[in-house]
Amino acid sequence: MKALAAALLILVAACGKGNAIFNVDVLSFLSASDSLKRFSVPVGIGQADSSVARRFFLPPGFGKTAADSVSASATASIIDTAGSGSVQFDVFFARTQAALFTGTPYLSANSGAMVAGDSVRLLPPTTVSLADTVFQKDTVWVGIRGRINKNLTTTMAGRFRLNSLNVRIVVRGNIL
Amino acid sequence: MRTGVVGLVLAVLVLAPLLPRAASAQFSFDARRVGMGGVSLSRDGNARRYNPAYRAVKNKNQVAGAPKFSIPVPLGLIQFFKDHPINQLSHDPMFSPDSAAFNPIGLLDLVFNPPIFLEVKKAPTPTNDVAFTIGRNQLVVDLGASRVLIPEQDFGLGSTSRLFDAGAGFGGFNVGVMGFLEYDVKFQLDSTLRSFLVSDSTARPNTPYFVNIDGVAQAGFAPTVSFAGRILRGAGGNDTDDGLYLGGALHYYYGATYGRAVGPAGFTTGAPVLGSTPTPLLDGLVSTSTKPGGHGVGGDVGLVWISGPFEVGAGVDDIGAELTWSHTKIQRYLYTTSTNSVSRTVIAPDTTTKTKLPVTYLANAAIHMGTGTTVGGDVINSGRGTVIHVGAEQRTGPFAVRGGVSRDQRKKMQFGFGGGVRLGPLGLDVGFWTHSNSLSTQRAITMATSISIY
Repeated sequence: MKALAAALLILVAACGKGNAIFNVDVLSFLSASDSLKRFSVPVGIGQADSSVARRFFLPPGFGKTAADSVSASATASIIDTAGSGSVQFDVFFARTQAALFTGTPYLSANSGAMVAGDSVRLLPPTTVSLADTVFQKDTVWVGIRGRINKNLTTTMAGRFRLNSLNVRIVVRGNIL
Repeated sequence: MRTGVVGLVLAVLVLAPLLPRAASAQFSFDARRVGMGGVSLSRDGNARRYNPAYRAVKNKNQVAGAPKFSIPVPLGLIQFFKDHPINQLSHDPMFSPDSAAFNPIGLLDLVFNPPIFLEVKKAPTPTNDVAFTIGRNQLVVDLGASRVLIPEQDFGLGSTSRLFDAGAGFGGFNVGVMGFLEYDVKFQLDSTLRSFLVSDSTARPNTPYFVNIDGVAQAGFAPTVSFAGRILRGAGGNDTDDGLYLGGALHYYYGATYGRAVGPAGFTTGAPVLGSTPTPLLDGLVSTSTKPGGHGVGGDVGLVWISGPFEVGAGVDDIGAELTWSHTKIQRYLYTTSTNSVSRTVIAPDTTTKTKLPVTYLANAAIHMGTGTTVGGDVINSGRGTVIHVGAEQRTGPFAVRGGVSRDQRKKMQFGFGGGVRLGPLGLDVGFWTHSNSLSTQRAITMATSISIY
């Protein structure tokens, strides 16, 4: 992946003052166990996280300049099989693993109050981040988190499925 | 390792098509020739290089109106060093790969197209978005307008030079020695790769994408026996240049060194396409001479016919020039996936191979009218595409006006125009020449300036 990304980046040089646009289907690089998470939060715990963190290689030239813009979009679905509560869906990008899940997520959506049997489709609004420096490195970490909030006295179980996660990175020419 | 190999392949695709532009943009340091679309109306330069019969024809500098030589005035360098101060070159983004503004194509263009002359009108920088759609199961590359850069046939760069040519003789016969240098690098996209970049745009799993590379370089010297003489005199008699001239040269080529590399380079996609790192594909045969002593025989022939104001010539160089290298080592370089390294195997430690020098053709014609007008043209093919120059010069008193057109190796029409003034033994000439950017239909204009010594 890293090798090919570097090779493709060389082609960017052909675009002169144009832009290099990378449309990355992040979901396709995640395993099935990463995109489908089952959760069960017992009595006595009010909040629990189910998260995935994966590292992606970027073309080396990204280390020299900030991306002109980064837009991200995702869809996910929550199925509540037992109990009640809500699920907060967040997507983070960070330069290091330690920095994941801190700060403001790039994508965020909340299921609202759910009860057993509910199925909610999450459609967080597409976000656009200008002059993003997170991608100013050879690697980027992607973090996906489902935060379950519920009453301490009840249990909540269900499934969380990531249906799509796409990132569009626009880089000005001459990034080699 | 993988990054480098795969990257190199696609770098070649992008960079190589730009090279012919550089070669065609600046063909001479003489503003007079620039102003006439590249044609040389004097009997030096290309004429003597490619047509041995011209050695028997008086040089045109003995004719009124033609200078002895020209000195370029490098106004472009002044502008260049103003933009790129010498004392700051180490920090200049143009030369610093670590800089975000570093552009390898721009640097390559600078090497092949040195800014000797002033660029009075720059071609608009092409604007084009390149989009990549990347997923584990898909890789789609949309080059947009950059698709025009992807060549249909083989492409590359090459040159055949005679580094020196010295000798002595009498009665039209000459014995001497000349040095030669020839290099030629050709790239040809595999049809699958070309289809991927130009039309299909979607990479397939388990599919090799590669470029076939064939590069050769050789150098040496050649003892030469030649003859050039006027075999028929024209109506003007001995007082004029009229007549038919014939020239020929026989070379014994003695090769000092040579090397050749042939083979595919690219990568093979995984299944799914990006389910795993693409595997580099490199399998090349490299032949190198282990001892000097390549040898062969070849020749040049040419003729020139001059009748009053009209002259026409034709020459062919390096006919039958095939060198036999008796001591050649052939090695195979193969990328091995299991070790993630390139292995080297000696196929033949000492064998015999052959190389050829490309045959070069030149045809030229000129007519010198009594009104101060000279019109000329030439067609040259050195095995790398035909280049045509047609130009004219009108002299009136100390002033000269010039114009011309050219069809370059990429079959693009370019235009030249200019003028000059002569003040005693000195002359100042200005020539303007158009050249094109690979991605733009608009032409840039270069202004050449030179001082002529009469």
